[in-house]
Amino acid sequence: MNRAADQPEPNPLREGLSARAVPQPCTIVIFGATGDLTHRKLVPALYNLAADGELPPAVEIVGFARRPKTDDEFRSDLEEATRKFSRQSVRDEIWKNFAQSIFYHQSEFEDESGYKALVKRLDEIDKNHGTRGNRLFYFAAAPDQFEPILKNLKAAGLNQTCKGSWARVIIEKPFGSDLASARELNSAVRNSFTEEQTYRIDHFLGKETAQNILVLRFANAIFAPLWNTHYIDHVQITAAETLGVEGRAGYYETAGALRDMVQNHLLQLLCLTAMEPPTDLSADSIRDEKVKVVRSLRRWPRNEIAADVVRGQYAKGAINGEPVVGYRQEKNVNPDSQTETFVALRLYIDTWRWAEVPIYMRVGKRLPKSATDISIHFKKAPAVLFNKDLHDLNVLVIRIQPDEGISLRIHAKVPGTSFRIEPVKMDFHYGTSFGKASPEAYERLLLDAMSGDATLFARRDEVEEAWSFIDPIEEAWHAKKNAPELFFYPAGSWGPEAADDLLARDGRAWRRL
Amino acid sequence: MPPIAETYSLGVRVEVSKIDEELKKVWQESEGAATRASLVNLAVYSEDAGSLSKNTQLMAKITEDHACRAIVIEADCNARENHVEAWISAHCHVSGVGSKQVCSEQISFLVKGGCTDLLPSIVFSHLDSDLPFYLWWQREFREPMDSQLWAWVDRVIYDSQGWADFRAQMSLLESAEQEANQRIVLCDLNWTRLDSFRFALAQFFDHPASHHNFAKINKLRIDFAPDFRSTAVLFAGWLAAQLNWQSEKTNVPNKFSFASSSGGKIEVELRERLGQPIGEVAMQTSHMEFLVTHAECGDLLEVSRGKQGEKRTPQLMPAGKNDPVSLMSEELMRGGPHHVYLHAVERVRDLL
Repeated sequence: MNRAADQPEPNPLREGLSARAVPQPCTIVIFGATGDLTHRKLVPALYNLAADGELPPAVEIVGFARRPKTDDEFRSDLEEATRKFSRQSVRDEIWKNFAQSIFYHQSEFEDESGYKALVKRLDEIDKNHGTRGNRLFYFAAAPDQFEPILKNLKAAGLNQTCKGSWARVIIEKPFGSDLASARELNSAVRNSFTEEQTYRIDHFLGKETAQNILVLRFANAIFAPLWNTHYIDHVQITAAETLGVEGRAGYYETAGALRDMVQNHLLQLLCLTAMEPPTDLSADSIRDEKVKVVRSLRRWPRNEIAADVVRGQYAKGAINGEPVVGYRQEKNVNPDSQTETFVALRLYIDTWRWAEVPIYMRVGKRLPKSATDISIHFKKAPAVLFNKDLHDLNVLVIRIQPDEGISLRIHAKVPGTSFRIEPVKMDFHYGTSFGKASPEAYERLLLDAMSGDATLFARRDEVEEAWSFIDPIEEAWHAKKNAPELFFYPAGSWGPEAADDLLARDGRAWRRL
Repeated sequence: MPPIAETYSLGVRVEVSKIDEELKKVWQESEGAATRASLVNLAVYSEDAGSLSKNTQLMAKITEDHACRAIVIEADCNARENHVEAWISAHCHVSGVGSKQVCSEQISFLVKGGCTDLLPSIVFSHLDSDLPFYLWWQREFREPMDSQLWAWVDRVIYDSQGWADFRAQMSLLESAEQEANQRIVLCDLNWTRLDSFRFALAQFFDHPASHHNFAKINKLRIDFAPDFRSTAVLFAGWLAAQLNWQSEKTNVPNKFSFASSSGGKIEVELRERLGQPIGEVAMQTSHMEFLVTHAECGDLLEVSRGKQGEKRTPQLMPAGKNDPVSLMSEELMRGGPHHVYLHAVERVRDLL
């Protein structure tokens, strides 16, 4: 949304051609290049950008990984993956051209000499391909490898650039597993790269509808006066999925739903929903406002956490009529696992705008349907005239995925001689109104990183504030005495009853999805 | 629900006074199986015989990506009696999400006699309220330009490629805009046609280290297909406007020059060649050539730079398409004002 300090002067020939910052020529070095993320997301995203003409011609990709491979073998692996996972079908001539810019660099992450060789290779690429010394380091490796990679990049001088060039680092979540480890990771990053060079990726922020939250709130005068405690009864944020752990048990057992989803994705959505208007559209102005939201979240004393946070784990059940096993029966899961696959929370943001407005959040696996949305439930109209018996509230729903869109529930008179009032829904679907498919979140975010626009990336203080909110919950759950109960729910249900009780105690219910 | 199932015909013939009523029936009969969607009112006006059917087919394609209330008008200005016939139909497409059909309504009119005099009343009565109004005017504008109509237009879309007299047409448009006292966005499909070439050439100069080349440009060659000279001139106008070149007098239509702000001279050569509207653009400094050319497969551009005669490895970029559906889609997607176009026109108005 705004130019970074290291962003060059604008090109006069770009005027009117593009409403976004222009991505710069660069070499993208992917650490963990033989992994899933590279094959499923990163390279297909880069291919799509190339096919759409969004990628500058001088963008080269260097895969850095341990396994021995030639450039051609690496290209051929990536071609197969891109044909499988790309949102548009792969055209041979475009792939052939794109593949020429892909290279493989084999090295252990801990091996200093591998980085020295990388320097030579990158210099050569700069010389032969016009990438101008710009480097984007993408950390798609396991988090425990981040530190040696950072250390070695610094030792090889790859964190520094010549005048007029830049080096940036993209870090994939998880950004630590608690506040202490996040701080440790952040300081390891800081030892090698400045905060301005660091891009912490949360792919939820690359989704069209997540970006549209700001547009909805700040480009429409009708919502601004209503967006506060005077008119909003409560807010619900739901991230439901039908899938189980799907081969991620190793990671999920150590993370759980709270760390995997709430600490990052859901709190980011909450920030966009609850933040004050930024002073401008620069990355830092927006992130300044977002971090204030997390900082204002009411913290609980340990003994009160159970009253506001419910954790659950799926037991055997059925999804779409198909029987599925319980979490503890999944492959590589401890049969006595205490890991939560469901969390429901009641939060409060202690600001003037949100005073005493409950924010209910829930996230879970093996729920009846996959959907992520935010719903704003407005207060009841005064109980006079025909409003005396109305129980439904006006609800504004922002659907993040799937079927991105916005709907508003209002009351209308049912045609007829009697005065019957029923709720009706005004519904906007992105897919219906705009035929063109949205780019994948990774496409947008990679372009932003190449353009030096950090708006949709998490800043250090956002991440640390989020952990400082999450940590007491984790600590309470793992306490030896009086730990809040882990509830079980059948796969295919909407979570444990305790989650319903969380709202029922306030005279409310989860929105029907 | 017969009209909903059909996307290529004019649909059901209706009395002009009953259009709204008949449209309502269409949606009632669909029983919720289809969703009506509309982001803009898109009216297309043509005086070509048979254009109703041709434009209906174009609308069927355009509405796949751009939901709108389509108003298709064919005018027979030479008819002796004033007479209007109307049809309603819907262009339905399965939406990207789920299996629900998303439909855009089309109202078609065959206007005999009266012609542009009848246009405002037809358009005004059938706009989808509160939505922008885009008027796609095929062929040439002619007087009288109804100021009441133009006051309602948000964007006027035309293709200057087919204009016999560019200056006269632009002047008509500009006076209509002035008279209507409305800031109409002028959308020239001949300009849209240049998007991919402009994009391809622009990307050479994204890095500030390449900006010094702007002052060194001394030659520009543009290859254009027969009938697309104006497209090539607009391209030269774009470079002149953005790089602050001033046009110099010339007597040779396809060879002219600009003076740069630093006093340098830029010689421009336009070459007519069979093929794509713009086949190739080569921009040169004394030691470097920036080349954008169509790849053999047609819908890709090869972009390369280097010393003349030197072997290069070109990159591929999308070439864009020249058919009306693609041009309209590109135009509808891009939106925004077209200041750069107006500046480009200013620089080469006398050459067009």
